[in-house]
Amino acid sequence: MAVAPVNETLTLADLTRDPYPVYRRMRAETPIVEVPAARRIFLTKAKHTKMVKDDPELFSSDDPVTPMRRAFLAHTLMRKDGEEHRRERMAMQPAFSPKVIKTDWADLYRTIATDYLDRLPRGETVDLFTALCGPIAARILAHILGLDEVSDADMQRWSQTLIDGAGNFGFADEPFEKSDAANAEMDAVFDSLLDRHRAEPNNSALSVMLNAKNPIPMSQVYANIKIAIGGGINEPRDALATILFGLLTNPDQLEEVKRQEAWAEAFEEGVRWVAPIQASSRRVTRDLEIDGIDIPEGVTLMTIQASANRDEDLYEDGESFNVFRKKAPHQAFGSGPHHCAGAHISRRTVGEILLPMLFERFPNMKLDRAEDVVWSGFGFRGPLNLPVRLS
Amino acid sequence: MVQITFIQPDGGQTTLDAAEGASVMETAVNNGIDGIFAECGGAMMCATCHCYVDEAWAGKTGARVDGEEDMLECAAAELRETSRLSCQLKLSSELDGLVVHLPEEQA
Ligand code: HEM
Ligand code: HEM
Ligand code: FES
Repeated sequence: MAVAPVNETLTLADLTRDPYPVYRRMRAETPIVEVPAARRIFLTKAKHTKMVKDDPELFSSDDPVTPMRRAFLAHTLMRKDGEEHRRERMAMQPAFSPKVIKTDWADLYRTIATDYLDRLPRGETVDLFTALCGPIAARILAHILGLDEVSDADMQRWSQTLIDGAGNFGFADEPFEKSDAANAEMDAVFDSLLDRHRAEPNNSALSVMLNAKNPIPMSQVYANIKIAIGGGINEPRDALATILFGLLTNPDQLEEVKRQEAWAEAFEEGVRWVAPIQASSRRVTRDLEIDGIDIPEGVTLMTIQASANRDEDLYEDGESFNVFRKKAPHQAFGSGPHHCAGAHISRRTVGEILLPMLFERFPNMKLDRAEDVVWSGFGFRGPLNLPVRLS
Repeated sequence: MVQITFIQPDGGQTTLDAAEGASVMETAVNNGIDGIFAECGGAMMCATCHCYVDEAWAGKTGARVDGEEDMLECAAAELRETSRLSCQLKLSSELDGLVVHLPEEQA
């Protein structure tokens, strides 16, 4: 029996800049470690992060003091456990199934992608992150959710506002004032769409939830759509930008990916290499021990999938981007009951549709200078810019 | 111990000895069988552990559990009468010799 070692010096700013060398040391020296700057105990090994996420009874997602509740003005499925969680989740899941994507959406997404690619200027440097990755992720999500009428800009603004509110751990006023305003806008827009979805039922998330035989309460229908807005834009955006960076800085791999049409593999490797959601929190429901370390009831554990995805137990040279590495399961989409609801969508849209279209259209796409790309983020991570030259 | 055989879409077969009480999914994952992803670790939330129970065994594996049907609807490959989520199939002595087929795709 031993208490977890404490890392007194580590700051959130260090982690935001580049967490990977820190996690590598932790895996080697202190795989279970308390980080006062984050007020949490970090788990950095794949076996521990998975064990925790797979056991919702000992490790609950229900955080009674989460700023998320205040930001969303609702208790959302992300922070629920058990039957209530399953019911709300399954109300929406059919809209996100691979078959619906194939039958209902694939053609529309190809049209959207063509349209967005047509707009990109050739022969000059373009920031693909802002010109493509963000807007196209927003457009695709708008359709899946049944919010066709909403602009890319509004989708992205709502998403960021919800995220800023949900991450407002200091409970400052301003982020909540903004999220309150966004909630009011979203509620009004959702209200205005109900008649259309009732009159013409379709496979979008809003329609599926509204027209279910045994619908969940309206408050939870809206909360679900908001969670999908908060969680469904930045991650595919960051995943796309990360994969593009990986391929453009490894031209030999890019050539091989094109030759083998290994886009699905490129997608998996990109999200393994830099997980768009780097960590997830769980509250410990009783005193217990993990690998000989005492973990008291009530503590919040931070399961660091970013670190698990580079764990030496599973990966050789996990720090590098290598599409053709020996396959091993990653945790970029989490695990257990809260496993990402949008995993299928992301694989199909980013991996199967966007990546091949982009390289077909711009076969000689070049990253201007890799060292100009700025990476950032601790809870969420990806490049903040992607200056490329299209031809 | 009970025996279980996994058959890949290309016909490749693997037969394993598995512990009673383990799920078909756990057995596949622990032995590195291709074609079972099981991304949610058995929480019935991902449908990436989809399998088809061999016709000869279909009567013995019991009914789908509560909620399994809904999640199977979200599987990538074709849904058949014999479709199961392998995380919900527990091995017992009655299932000694079980044969399951893996689908073309999981994700
Ligand atoms: C590459 C893109 C994506 C990545 C890497 C990703 C990652 C994740 C992760 C790690 C979680 C688990 C959080 C936890 O354990 O607490 C999660 C949950 C979730 N994701 Fe995603 N996500 C992506 C795209 C999407 C998309 C496009 C949607 C929109 C439909 C979406 C909707 C959700 C929802 C609703 C949850 C909550 C599930 C629950 O609590 O039951 N995600 N995602
Ligand atoms: C005590 C310090 C903090 C810790 C330990 C922390 C940790 C985390 C983690 C791990 C997540 C992932 C979601 C989950 O909980 O499952 C999260 C959510 C979030 N955090 Fe932080 N964070 C902290 C402070 C901040 C700050 C200062 C910001 C900046 C505004 C921020 C922004 C966010 C955002 C945007 C979310 C998204 C909520 C969601 O939709 O899941 N966090 N936080
Ligand atoms: S392992 Fe995810 S549904 Fe079976």
